[in-house]
Amino acid sequence: MSTIIDAILGYCFLLLTVRVLSRRPGGQLTLFEFVIVFLIGGVSIAATVGNDRSITNCATAILAVALMHRLVSWLKQVSPRFGAVVDGTPLLLIRNGEWQMNVMRGMHVDPEDVMAAARAKSIGSVFEIHYAVLERNGSISIIPKHPSPDS
Amino acid sequence: MEAALRAFIGYFFVVLIVRIVGRRPGKQLTPFEFVLIFFMGGLALTAIVGDELSFTNAICQVIAIALAHRLTSWIRSKSSRAARLIDGTPLILIERDQWRTETMTKMRIADDDVMFAARDKGLRKLSDVERAILERNGDISVLPK
Amino acid sequence: MSTVRSLAVEDSVAQVDHEVAVGEDLAFQRRWWRFEKVIWILFIVILLLDLGGTFGRGPLAHARLRTPDGELSVHYERIERKGTPSMMRITFGPHSVAGGTATVSISDSVVNGLGTQRVIPQPATTIIGRDALTYTFPVSGAAADIQLQLQPSAAGVYYFTVSEPDEKPLTGRIVVAP
Repeated sequence: MSTIIDAILGYCFLLLTVRVLSRRPGGQLTLFEFVIVFLIGGVSIAATVGNDRSITNCATAILAVALMHRLVSWLKQVSPRFGAVVDGTPLLLIRNGEWQMNVMRGMHVDPEDVMAAARAKSIGSVFEIHYAVLERNGSISIIPKHPSPDS
Repeated sequence: MEAALRAFIGYFFVVLIVRIVGRRPGKQLTPFEFVLIFFMGGLALTAIVGDELSFTNAICQVIAIALAHRLTSWIRSKSSRAARLIDGTPLILIERDQWRTETMTKMRIADDDVMFAARDKGLRKLSDVERAILERNGDISVLPK
Repeated sequence: MSTVRSLAVEDSVAQVDHEVAVGEDLAFQRRWWRFEKVIWILFIVILLLDLGGTFGRGPLAHARLRTPDGELSVHYERIERKGTPSMMRITFGPHSVAGGTATVSISDSVVNGLGTQRVIPQPATTIIGRDALTYTFPVSGAAADIQLQLQPSAAGVYYFTVSEPDEKPLTGRIVVAP
């Protein structure tokens, strides 16, 4: 029983922590996301399972986490408000060709990251960008002023 | 050593390991490099967690790791030198129809990798490439002529 | 044959500048940024408290009980954590070890609730009493120390007593965090 409680509380706490870790250090750098995911996940394991390493106990914990996740997914669908809290909202980094500096600072995105995303769409210069959107998952979408070569 | 401190130091240690083992932070890890990172990371985890099986400890250590991460992000944003050290810089692979051979060998990238990225853009030949750049996260961006 | 319900595509994603459909909610985001700041401050506070020992394993958690004549003292952790090992040390003064043996009674809570794993050194005899266990140790020399290795298996508040025969008991409280 305590395993289930630990698993549920652990899930909620991890959700909060990852969400608060401004999920997007530049949006494109995966090294740190990897380390964080690995370490935070790993550190939580021992506490959830405790001394009982049986299959029963571990299966219970896995089940509890899976159900929590399912519950959260469902809540996200049912309530857009909840979805915004859990996932965040898309944010404009460039609006009408102008940098939104306060958003950039708030989300710790630097212009180089936006340029990298632009290059991925074969756009070489910032002047060709009409809008740049920081999506909820951290990727940056570029909407060019003129149709880009590969659209 | 206090558990939270272990977690804090452990974070930097693992970051160092991943940075050294993976020649590019992120995408270009071969399966074996992944295994290696998991192996060493797992060992680091064992030392970090130690004999502490309490929920209290998990929370404190997770918080310590989160703070370490936040600190690193802050340092990265304040100092471009630190950012270069930690993330690397974008590197040019092809420019003006010339391969940067030193970069290619050092980063262990094959012509094929670049061509793959080019094909992704709908290009047919390497000569259609104006510039190819190895981004900080391991992606190869190709700008067509 | 199944019927497919379809919904006409409307402008369900808010538009920015009447041009680009981005469901941005800056007002929400600003509130979120304030919330994040609070959380980070909270994190730092929790970490500092933890390093100080308010959640166990730190300077603030160390506690000591002592009889007025100094014959018996107990060093223990005021706050412990579930499943995590810790040590409780009992020290005997010169008079207690005068006869060549030291005897101490320890309440059940230390063994059951707080999960005594080992007594170091091994006692010569163990007498099981009503709510307590009485250990005797052969002693040579002036003062003596014994240690109990504890590993609590469940969270909660535990009261314990440690006493020498025919002496007033020392009582303490240990809170075990989850």
